[in-house]
Amino acid sequence: MTETQFKNMKDLPSKHLLGTGTSLCAGCGGLEALHEIYDILGAKSVFVNAAGCMTLLAVYPFTPFRGSWLYTAMASAPAGAQGIRDALDILLTKGRIAAGEDLETVVLTGDGSAYGMGLSATSGAIERGLDFLYICYDNEGYGNTGQQSSGATPHGARTSTSRGSSGYPGHKKDLFSIWVAHRPTYVATVVGAEPLDLARKIEQAKKLRGPRLILALAPCPTGWDFDPSETAEIGKLAVRTGVWPLKEYRDGKVVHSKIPQRRLPVEDYLKRQGRFAHLFHPQRDEVLLQEIQTKIDIYWANVEG
Amino acid sequence: MYRIRFHGRGGQGMKTASRILGTAFFHAGFEVQDAPRYGAERRGAPMFAYVRAARQTINERGIIRHPDLVIVADDTLMGTPTAAVQQGITGQTVMLIHSSEQAQVWRSRLNLAGPVFILPAFEAARDRLELRYIGTACAAAAARLIGVFSWSSLEKALREELAGLGESVVEKNLPHAQQAYDLMESHQGTVTPGAAVTAESFTQPKWIDLSFESARRAAPAIHAAGTSEQMKTGLWRTMRPIIDRAHCKHCWWVCSTFCPDGVIQVDAAGCPQIDYAHCKGCMVCVSQCPNHAIEVVSEQAAQLAEKAGESK
Repeated sequence: MTETQFKNMKDLPSKHLLGTGTSLCAGCGGLEALHEIYDILGAKSVFVNAAGCMTLLAVYPFTPFRGSWLYTAMASAPAGAQGIRDALDILLTKGRIAAGEDLETVVLTGDGSAYGMGLSATSGAIERGLDFLYICYDNEGYGNTGQQSSGATPHGARTSTSRGSSGYPGHKKDLFSIWVAHRPTYVATVVGAEPLDLARKIEQAKKLRGPRLILALAPCPTGWDFDPSETAEIGKLAVRTGVWPLKEYRDGKVVHSKIPQRRLPVEDYLKRQGRFAHLFHPQRDEVLLQEIQTKIDIYWANVEG
Repeated sequence: MYRIRFHGRGGQGMKTASRILGTAFFHAGFEVQDAPRYGAERRGAPMFAYVRAARQTINERGIIRHPDLVIVADDTLMGTPTAAVQQGITGQTVMLIHSSEQAQVWRSRLNLAGPVFILPAFEAARDRLELRYIGTACAAAAARLIGVFSWSSLEKALREELAGLGESVVEKNLPHAQQAYDLMESHQGTVTPGAAVTAESFTQPKWIDLSFESARRAAPAIHAAGTSEQMKTGLWRTMRPIIDRAHCKHCWWVCSTFCPDGVIQVDAAGCPQIDYAHCKGCMVCVSQCPNHAIEVVSEQAAQLAEKAGESK
C-alpha cells in the first residue's frame, strides 16, 4: 500500500455525505459499505445503478445522493456508464465543461448483476478500457426479491431457491479473479466492517483511471438471517475466518491487505447465520462443514505458502 | 363480501396472518384474495395486508377502501399517521387491537364508533419485533370474530402456511392460535360482511391529467440533493439506542462509521449524536461501542419519558 491519508481510524471522515432516510433494511451491510465509500469518493460522481436493493436508494422524488444517479436495467449498468463517460468526454473536448467539473462514473450493482446478468456488459466495458469505478455490494443472493440463489451464493447456504438439507449446491464464483483475468487497472475486495482498509482502497481507486472494481461483502440481516445489530460483527468474522480475503490487484500483482494472523474456524462465522443453521441442527453436517473449511485452508495455504 | 385489513410492522408476521386467514376462508369454500401492501417492505416499517372473501366471484381489485375488520398487531402504529390504521373505517368496522390497554381507552382516544376488541398482550418480549406468535394469534382471533368457518379449517390453513418453517414452528404456534381463538368466543360473528360495491358507485380519484410531453421534460428527474432525508425512517424503530454521556469516550469513528445509515453525526465537541428522526434501530452502534456506553430502551418508553419531560 502506498501513501495514505488514512493512517488510523481517527482519520476516517467525521462528516457523512450520503443522505439518511433511505428505504434499505435496518442493519444493511451494503449500505454500511456504501456510505463509507461515498464519504471518500465524494459528490462529484455519477452513479449508474442496475436493478437491485440499491435502486431503492433513489425513489422519486427522494435521493440520498449529493451528485447524479441513473437507473438502468439489471444487465446494462456498464453500458450506461459507457454512455455517460463518453458524454462527459465530449463535453470536456468541446470545452462545454471545465476539467474541474468532470465527474467520476460509478457503477453500483448487487451480486446478481455483477456475478451474473451484467457480466457480459462488464467484460465488454473492461475490454474497451472504460474509465469507471464498479462497486458491487455482494450479499450473496438476489436479496431484493427474497434471497434467491445467485452466482455469488456460497456453497451450502440456504436460499429461497435452495431450501434442502444441504443448501445451495453450487459454488461462489470468484469475481475478483474474473476481473483480474481482464487485466484492468484496479480490483479490490472490501467490507464495511473494516472501514480503514476500505478507505485506503477507495483512496487508491480514486487516484487511478480505467476499469476499477470495488467488491464489497454485504452482510444481509434479511437474507442471511441474523439480527441487524450483528452486521459489523459478521463482517469482521468473514475476514477473521478467512472466508472473505481482503486484497487488491494493481500493476499485475495481487496483494493481500489483511492476512488474518490466527484464522478462526469457519464455523464461528457460519453458526451466527440462519442460512447455515441446517449445518448445525438437528445434527452437525460434519462432511459439509469440513468441505467448507478445507476450501478456505487451501486458499490461504496458497497465499501464505 | 368480507374485507379485512391487517396492520403491523415488517417482521411481525401480518403477511403470514393474512395468508392464513385467506387460506382458511378458501378451505371453507369462499373465493379469496389476499395480498400484502408494503411501504418500504422492511423490518420494523409499518405495513399492511388485506383479505377479501366472498361466496360469489370477487370483481373488486386493489386495496380495500372500507374494511369490515381491522386488525392491529402493534398498538404503537395507532398514533403513526403513515400507518393509516384508521383509513376508511366506518361505524360498522370492527377493530381488533393487540394491546395492554383496555378497549375503552382506544375507543375514546381515537373516537371510534364501531366495536373495539382487545387481544391482550400475552407474550412477553422486550422488543415488539421479537413477538414470535402475534401473526398466528391475530389470524385466529380474526377468524373467530368473523365466525364463518371452523377451527379445523383454520388449523389446516395454519399448518399449510407455516409448513415451510418446519414442524416444530407449527406446533409452537398452534397453542397461541387456539388461545386467541378461544378468547374471542363470546364475540363470534361480530364482523358483518360489507355490501357489494358496484362500478357505478366508484368515485373517480382527483386525477390531474397530464398531456404527453417529451422525455426530456417528463422524465422523473430529481434536481435536489439528499432529499431522502425527508423520509423519517425513525418510525421503523421499536427500540432506541441512547448514548450514555457519562461513559462515552468520544471515539466517534467507531459508532459513526459503522452505523449503516450514517445517522450518527459528530458535533463540534467531538461527541457522537444520534439522529432519531432517521435511526432505524438496527443497534449496530450498540454492538460495536467498545465502552458499552450505548444503552437500549423501548421506543415507546423513551417517547413517554420525553413527553413527561416536556410537560414538567
